[in-house]
Amino acid sequence: MSTPQWVRALKPGSPQGSELLEQERSNSNVNVDALSHFLFTKEGIARKQRVLKVLQSEKVFDKSQNYFAGRIDRFETALARAKKLRQLAVRNGWTQDDRLTANELISEPGPYGLHESMFLITLRDQGNAEQHEKFLRPAEEYKYIGCYAQTELGHGSNVRGLETTATWNADDKTFTIHSPTLTASKWWIGSLGRTANHAVVMAQLIVNGKSLGPHPFVIQIRDMKTHEPLENIHVGDIGPKFGYNTMDNGFLLFNNFKVPHISMLARFSSVDPKTNKYSRPSSPSLIYGTLTWVRSTIVMQAGGVLARGVTIATRYCAVRRQFQDRDAPEWEKGENQVLNYTTVQIRLLPLLATTFALHFTGKGMMALYAASQKKMSQDVGKVGAPERGPGPEETHSGSDLLADLHATSCGLKSLASYTAVEGLEVCRRACGGHGYSSFSGIGPWYADYLPTATWEGDNYMLTQQVARYLLKSARSVLKGNEATNDTTAILSNFLSRQDTGAAFDILGNDSELVAAFAWRAAFLTFEALKHRDEQKKPWNSLLVDFYRLSRAHSQYMVVKNFYETLQASPDSSDGLDPETLGLMHKLFRLYALHTLEAEASEFYTSSAVTVRQIQLARTNAVMKLLEELRPHAVRLVDSWGFPDWQLDSSLGRYDGKVYEDMFHRASELNPLNRVTVDPYPDSPTLFKKNEASALKSKL
Amino acid sequence: MPDFTDNLKPASPGGPEILAEERRQSDVPVGELAQHLFPHHDFLGRQQRILHVLGQDPLFSKAKQMNLSRPERYQLGLARAKMLRRLADQHGWDAEDQSMSQYLCDDVSPYMVHYTMFPTTVREQGDEKQRAYWMPKIQAGEVVGCYAQTELGHGSNVRGLECQARWDPKTQEFELHSPTLTASKWWNGTLGRTANHAIVVAQLLLPKSPGSTEYANHGPHPFIVQIRDMKTHKPLTGIAVGDIGPKYGYAPMDNGYMLFDHFRIPHSAMLSNYSRVDPNTCTYSRPANPAVVYGSLTAVRASIIMHARLVMARAVTIAVRYTSIRRQFQDRDNNDKSAPELSVLDYPTVQIRILPLLATAFALHYTGAAMQALYANTRAQIDKGDFSKLAVLHAQSSGLKSLCTELAANSIETCRRAMGGHGFGGGSGFIQLNNDYLSKPTVEGDNWMITQQTASYLIKRMSSAVANKGKSQDEVEQTCRDWLSNEHNSNISPLSIFDSDEQLVQAFHRRSRDLTYRAYVEREVKKRSWNSLLIQLRKVSHAESQSILVTNFHIALNDSKSSPSPALKGHLQTLFRLFAYYTMDAEARDFVKANAVSDEDLDMLPGKIQELMAQIRPHAVKLVDSWMIPDFLLDSALGRSDGKVYEDLFHRAHRLNPLNEITFNPYYKSDEIVMGQGSDELKKIMAKL
Ligand SMILES: Cc1cc2nc3c(=O)[nH]c(=O)nc-3n(C[C@H](O)[C@H](O)[C@H](O)COP(=O)(O)OP(=O)(O)OC[C@H]3O[C@@H](n4cnc5c(N)ncnc54)[C@H](O)[C@@H]3O)c2cc1C
Ligand SMILES: Cc1cc2nc3c(=O)[nH]c(=O)nc-3n(C[C@H](O)[C@H](O)[C@H](O)COP(=O)(O)OP(=O)(O)OC[C@H]3O[C@@H](n4cnc5c(N)ncnc54)[C@H](O)[C@@H]3O)c2cc1C
Repeated sequence: MSTPQWVRALKPGSPQGSELLEQERSNSNVNVDALSHFLFTKEGIARKQRVLKVLQSEKVFDKSQNYFAGRIDRFETALARAKKLRQLAVRNGWTQDDRLTANELISEPGPYGLHESMFLITLRDQGNAEQHEKFLRPAEEYKYIGCYAQTELGHGSNVRGLETTATWNADDKTFTIHSPTLTASKWWIGSLGRTANHAVVMAQLIVNGKSLGPHPFVIQIRDMKTHEPLENIHVGDIGPKFGYNTMDNGFLLFNNFKVPHISMLARFSSVDPKTNKYSRPSSPSLIYGTLTWVRSTIVMQAGGVLARGVTIATRYCAVRRQFQDRDAPEWEKGENQVLNYTTVQIRLLPLLATTFALHFTGKGMMALYAASQKKMSQDVGKVGAPERGPGPEETHSGSDLLADLHATSCGLKSLASYTAVEGLEVCRRACGGHGYSSFSGIGPWYADYLPTATWEGDNYMLTQQVARYLLKSARSVLKGNEATNDTTAILSNFLSRQDTGAAFDILGNDSELVAAFAWRAAFLTFEALKHRDEQKKPWNSLLVDFYRLSRAHSQYMVVKNFYETLQASPDSSDGLDPETLGLMHKLFRLYALHTLEAEASEFYTSSAVTVRQIQLARTNAVMKLLEELRPHAVRLVDSWGFPDWQLDSSLGRYDGKVYEDMFHRASELNPLNRVTVDPYPDSPTLFKKNEASALKSKL
Repeated sequence: MPDFTDNLKPASPGGPEILAEERRQSDVPVGELAQHLFPHHDFLGRQQRILHVLGQDPLFSKAKQMNLSRPERYQLGLARAKMLRRLADQHGWDAEDQSMSQYLCDDVSPYMVHYTMFPTTVREQGDEKQRAYWMPKIQAGEVVGCYAQTELGHGSNVRGLECQARWDPKTQEFELHSPTLTASKWWNGTLGRTANHAIVVAQLLLPKSPGSTEYANHGPHPFIVQIRDMKTHKPLTGIAVGDIGPKYGYAPMDNGYMLFDHFRIPHSAMLSNYSRVDPNTCTYSRPANPAVVYGSLTAVRASIIMHARLVMARAVTIAVRYTSIRRQFQDRDNNDKSAPELSVLDYPTVQIRILPLLATAFALHYTGAAMQALYANTRAQIDKGDFSKLAVLHAQSSGLKSLCTELAANSIETCRRAMGGHGFGGGSGFIQLNNDYLSKPTVEGDNWMITQQTASYLIKRMSSAVANKGKSQDEVEQTCRDWLSNEHNSNISPLSIFDSDEQLVQAFHRRSRDLTYRAYVEREVKKRSWNSLLIQLRKVSHAESQSILVTNFHIALNDSKSSPSPALKGHLQTLFRLFAYYTMDAEARDFVKANAVSDEDLDMLPGKIQELMAQIRPHAVKLVDSWMIPDFLLDSALGRSDGKVYEDLFHRAHRLNPLNEITFNPYYKSDEIVMGQGSDELKKIMAKL
């Protein structure tokens, strides 16, 4: 279908989106470049531009058909992209950071995803030298392509409940890997369904009839030539999902499948082939380090994930105009940008503040992690019991700092990923009807991000670990032990001032605002402790309280990190100019006060604030901040520096050509418009000119 | 192909055993409750009858549709739409049968607007002659139509539409024209590929006098327009029309765009039941009171709420069944290490996400039913143009639409997430449900916008109540007056929400009036700008809607006509309290400020909620069973009524998954994508990009 000339000549009604965004940008003097540098460093920004150029020059990365294709086409294209990306990485000598940047720009999960992350990490962390030689080397060359198969059809959260078994055969020095039930089938395993030829499989180790808990095994699952499954292995893709459809999450079953002794990853535990004895020489606490690192990354990414939605919605709501202002004088004809409506602002601007809050918190966590790793390496030898317990208090990691960081990372992963997930949907809905189009770029992005709320610890489950840690810290403080980290410090402070009370000046003083968050978290900790230790309530009856407690503690962490980042800023070389810094302080207050208002009753019950203060926060402070931040909204999202190529959104285009782009995609890129249909119920013809393959065969 | 997996069974206890036990230990009278929920028009009998027909035709099998591309999914949708219509002819289905068949098929059908907005508009806005001409053609399926109001640049603000219909007195024709790109019609269902006619809403431009070249704008009006050739189905010259592309959901529906280039249509194209243009004098006559339109708008909103409750029931049915079957971890406080794992529905953090939503589905039900009853009972008056009985309900209905669709949309995602990893999978039954339903917060009035209508009405009533002149105009004003004279008093004591359900209901009233009054003061006394109050106005509207939901729930429980058996009534009462407490807890501070509830009582709410959830937990499976949602509609491995969760998940992955029919070449150095095909596949991929 060719577009007629009279259509091509049409312009959007005035004013044009490009003019509106220009105007927005000229109304604010936020130094976008300086703020970008502050967020990502100059080096990071240069890297992004360099990698982007390479990707854009390769046709296989063209995104224009992504939103139209079916599952199989999407997967095939994703595989072609994964291969090309690897070729480029080799050819250009890309570093790890370069590759991560490329993934971010492409923004779709790829079939090599789990090979490049969990498979390699597990081989590296849990394999011994011999296994590094045998497995890691070919894996790094992509001869072995692997995945990490832990979750099963019947068990995910409860790893100890896994049903796959690995039984040691003393006679021929092998393990028999077996799936005794259907629920023992591995499930959800990324890269497994069609791509991998090897898998790290978590299985219950059985030696001499004794069950020793889940252990990792490296297993070849497909033929190296034909890529067909080996005999007595049954493997496949689990089918279409909410999102993540470019990834082949798979299932895997074993029918008494034998593997050699070397398959069991032996860095931390092993079976001696001579004596048939099982031993666990050192603690897997390093694994907690990895988990902590992964969760900290999730926190940091959550800021950027959300910022994408906020960027799209903010730009679009500045271009979208609807209705005249009700109180505007007759002669003021023009319609209002919907970003001027306070019900749009209250949805978007606190989220804008949140993007920065999460980013700084993630950064803070990564820095702490690096510090703790350094300390840990000085602490070696002090490690404790090897039991892989469900909570940090059982890690006995020699370092209080790491324990604190581990617990903190659990709670923050839960808070940050939920905040991003929910925030993206808020952004989408704020765009009205056009938000529902795939071309908004928010829906598909949201769908791919969703599982983050479930993996690396289900968001509700994780909060139990935080609660357990906080209770333990509270007990230690009650015993009179000295504060050794931030958590015990805020708990001690609460205890010492409990009777004199607290009257935090949340509206006048930023550090007191942070203190009010600390106070509420401490209050809830001691409340929970009362329920558990004094009233002896069952653990499970307290889960809802624990969830709230963890949330409170994490919100405190976010507020604190945001505040401290701004305090430190003027001293750093990447420092912000005073005006931008002033705006960042406003964003800090908006995040903190908006959160405080949403959780008002906890702040009030803990006596951190008065009812009057909450009311003032809502009616005055927050409303005033919205008004003050509104003119800078577009420039503030600009500073996140998303290239249009990455956003792949009509609504979020940097140049504001929203309507032109919507129309172009609908009329030029849309394959459905190439067919003419027969719409009459009594006629069996569907498409008059049918380019798609016959329908029946696909049913 | 048979293989070793055929003999594998899930670990015990299996889903069927677990559900049997859940059902055995509860005394919920499922049959009675189902009848209580669906008393009219033989809903359940009809459901079974139609289900039987659809179940036999492979065209309605949902097994593989999730793998299809957008064009394929539309094609399948069209095939089904045609078949449903043919089945209707064949079986002599009436209108209710037909909508049941669409409900069970669960596609957003490409004929949808042809069956709804299109004929409704012709019927309501067309004059007698127009109706007589068009309706038979529409019913015969010769004319296939859509409703084209929204444009690329304007949706909410209908007055801002840019498409023009200019009267040409010389030729006695209207000229339809799109002066800009943003004037393109957009989002209009059934328009993209299917329709041959459209109702086009355009700005009516008339010469100021018969000979004048100056034109006056009379605002948006509906025109019925042929847009495609009746034979070739190609767009007529001067029209550019097409599908707008993929969306979050609505894949089988061809939402469309359309532009006009000085396209001429006859005088008879303007639907003229209310507004008319005299072709000779060019004079325009205004609509009579369009009360009928308001009547049907209220009916539409009532059905939106009835639909919302079924959507929630569907989500909760799946979530309750699956979380009863799913077991994870032993109880920490149980010292018996061989004890079975707990069903995850026993964890309060799972309950708090699912069980209040179960209660909410009931709450929506009673209010939707009350609205429908009121509409049916006042129908005769409405048809005569006497609109007084419906006025209040109409004003309240925008707020209810906003709150109820918001609750339903959010409930889907909450339930999905409560199911862990499997909730994300294609076998969850949540993907299409979620994707399609998420349009509802935006369509039929954007949820964040239309709450202004309800709030604006309430503020007006409160103003009159404060002025206190003569008799109250309606019941809402009366409640404002009562509140002003009895409850608007800082010394009034809070209500005893735990001792009396009446007082619990009263607390919602008091808080709603209190918020109305505060908004009235801001706007009318302090003269604050409308825009600065929007956030507050939304609260006012939601508070009123919550009060209506709680009230109708309470009334229904104590309605002597439908009186449920004592066993059932007990369960419904628990659900009622759970809904009320849960809603109150989320908005606690409002209730304190209104002196409706004491601080002490509010502090006790979370504990009370947990107690109620513990009471409902053993009955959860039977309570969802009572909604009688068929497995065919659920299309969910997790929510199957027989509990065969894992068998079905595996069956779908292993036997129904076309991706597993292909062996890929995974090695990056090779450009081969599919094993044995060389670089052909890559070429095909590149050709599509
Ligand atoms: C897209 C995707 C990709 C994945 N990739 C991989 C992969 O590559 N490799 C791999 O091994 N796994 C993978 N997974 C699996 C993922 O790690 C699990 O889904 C996750 O751990 C959650 O476990 P589950 O599904 O068993 O949830 P469940 O534990 O069954 O959760 C169900 C519900 O029960 C609740 N619950 C469970 N236990 C408790 C408790 N003790 N107290 C209170 N509430 C409880 C949860 O909060 C949740 O609401 C993937 C999952 C997805 C969705
Ligand atoms: C799936 C789907 C099917 C549809 N089918 C049809 C159809 O068949 N025919 C048809 O004609 N149309 C159809 N529509 C269009 C639909 O009616 C509009 O999208 C809807 O009315 C919302 O309008 P909008 O998109 O202009 O939103 P906008 O008004 O642009 O909303 C954008 C944002 O601005 C805010 N906002 C707007 N005005 C105000 C205000 N005054 N005060 C405060 N905030 C404000 C909103 O809350 C929202 O956050 C369909 C839409 C969808 C998504």
